Amino acid sequence: MENKGTRNLYMIPYALWIILFVIAPIFLVLYYSFFDIEGNFSLVNYKNFFTPVYLQMTLSSFWYAFLITAISLLVAYPTAYLLTRTKHKQLWLLLIIVPSWINLLLKAYAFIGIFGAYGAANNFLEWIGIGSRQLLFTDFSFVFVSVYIFIPFMILPIFNALDNLNPSLLYAAKDLGASGWTTFRRVIFPLTIDGVKSGIQVVFIPALSLFMLTRLIAGNRVITLGTAIEQHFLVTQDWGMGSTIAVFLILIMFLFMGLTGFRKRGA
Amino acid sequence: MTNSAIIQFHNVTKQYDQDPPVLDRVSFEIERGKFYTLLGPSGCGKTTILRLIAGFTEATSGDIYFNGKKINHIPANKRQVNTVFQDYALFPHLNVFENVAFGLRIKKMKKSEIAAKVKEALSFVNLSGYEDREIKEMSGGQRQRVAIARAIVNEPEVILLDEPLSALDLKLRYQMQYELRELQRRLGITFIFVTHDQEEALAMSDEIFVINKGRIQQSGTPNDIYDEPINRFVADFIGESNIVKATMIEDFLVSFGGGNFECVDQGMNPNEPVEVVIRPEDLQITSFEDGMLQIEVHSQLFRGVHYEITGLDQEGNEWLVQSTKKATVGDKIGLQFEPEAIHVMRFNETEEDFDRRLDSYSEGVADGK
Repeated sequence: MENKGTRNLYMIPYALWIILFVIAPIFLVLYYSFFDIEGNFSLVNYKNFFTPVYLQMTLSSFWYAFLITAISLLVAYPTAYLLTRTKHKQLWLLLIIVPSWINLLLKAYAFIGIFGAYGAANNFLEWIGIGSRQLLFTDFSFVFVSVYIFIPFMILPIFNALDNLNPSLLYAAKDLGASGWTTFRRVIFPLTIDGVKSGIQVVFIPALSLFMLTRLIAGNRVITLGTAIEQHFLVTQDWGMGSTIAVFLILIMFLFMGLTGFRKRGA
Repeated sequence: MTNSAIIQFHNVTKQYDQDPPVLDRVSFEIERGKFYTLLGPSGCGKTTILRLIAGFTEATSGDIYFNGKKINHIPANKRQVNTVFQDYALFPHLNVFENVAFGLRIKKMKKSEIAAKVKEALSFVNLSGYEDREIKEMSGGQRQRVAIARAIVNEPEVILLDEPLSALDLKLRYQMQYELRELQRRLGITFIFVTHDQEEALAMSDEIFVINKGRIQQSGTPNDIYDEPINRFVADFIGESNIVKATMIEDFLVSFGGGNFECVDQGMNPNEPVEVVIRPEDLQITSFEDGMLQIEVHSQLFRGVHYEITGLDQEGNEWLVQSTKKATVGDKIGLQFEPEAIHVMRFNETEEDFDRRLDSYSEGVADGK
């Protein structure tokens, strides 16, 4: 009995944390979503969400999140594969992870400097003869910087999955006549799919609600659901509509997690 | 000989950087349809030979031939051999059927044909009806069989087995030894089996290559190797043995342990220092007076089938005796043995010289008759 009692005692900090900062806010968001801008109870926010303005915003959020995730994956998989082949793989992995410890805002400002009209990127374009051009506040720079920020989170689970792969399986595939590509397609990729899935989860879901970068790097040309929530809470003071968008975002996240599967995360 | 040889190694050396070579100018021939065993302690180079045949690694120098064609640079996926790995290396994301079908699917075989072949291969290893099982639902012995089925279904000319029984418990290992040997006979294809277990090697093989420090020490049938080991390493590695220093007085007469004994060996220099091997089961216990050798018993273990007795002779050589008769620790007993039980080994004799010497005995016997 006492054993069980102490175990429950240890649970208290975590339970409090979850209740205060996860469950309570979700219910608050849900609660606010049922009030219009005048403070009257209504379903008008949900009706508004299905108007072209918000649907398009949702679509563009998905589109950018998809782009960011896809490009991250395309860069991260070969990188992770190369990493597992290097001699000092843990050191290389650390070097890739380190930038993710730096504050997001700092990195965003660094990119403003690099992509600015007189920044390093334009200097380089001048030098190779292409000439300077508008880089900041474009779709390109938004996706580029987002990919840069998310890549360590994509590499890590894929690296772990590849690193756990039994090398004799690759010999076995070769032994049975598989070429390099066939081995990848039929053995390596299927066995690291869980790493890929958790990589996609940790990139796609935050990418869906990116808002700071949309302002700093994309100059508010890209309006995602995240940006809309921020604007509703801080600018238009329409907390109800902001909460409604948040509710949909949460639903989409759960749907997405369900689709990519919970099992064996990070391999 | 050369016509039936399916694999040939010519002076094959494998060396990593400046380390001593893993394989040192190894040459041998593998004949079609036989069960071969590469036997040696860990790190002796036996697995490297297997990897060279499979194509997982390339020789530093020397040539490897398969069916008379040089295959040094042919990649593993283009070779007519299949491997059964030590850890089985079954694909965990595929079920039993798909594991076995893996090689056939790569060959783009027809679906119906694949199904028939997989079924046949699984029945060969007594796993009919297990097609839809996941690998993780299979026991160690069953996984072993799936791995074998996955190899034989491709109908390779050679199957390589890399210590495939080492992960199994003793009883299952004995059972699989029989099954593997039986399977090889039924299929009639060449098996090359790697092990460090000498009993396994003796029980299963047509031919054994005993390997140590990157060189083949001796090759021959299990009987040849057990009865006539070429040197101390082979005698010591294969079975239990008494190895003592001796002097070859003249042909058919050898001196050790304080006496001169008649033997069947010849062709050495008079008074050449040699070593003598007598297997413990070839020694009989008699009374002290009747013994050809006298030893003082200093330990005795009951092994079930027999007693294992050790003692020292007057020169201080230790003798191991396996006997159904009991002795008493501290007693002096006599040992008897036949001239044929004595096997004389010269120091640093090459395998060719050794074979030539042994061959000359049988010619001598034939002449004598």
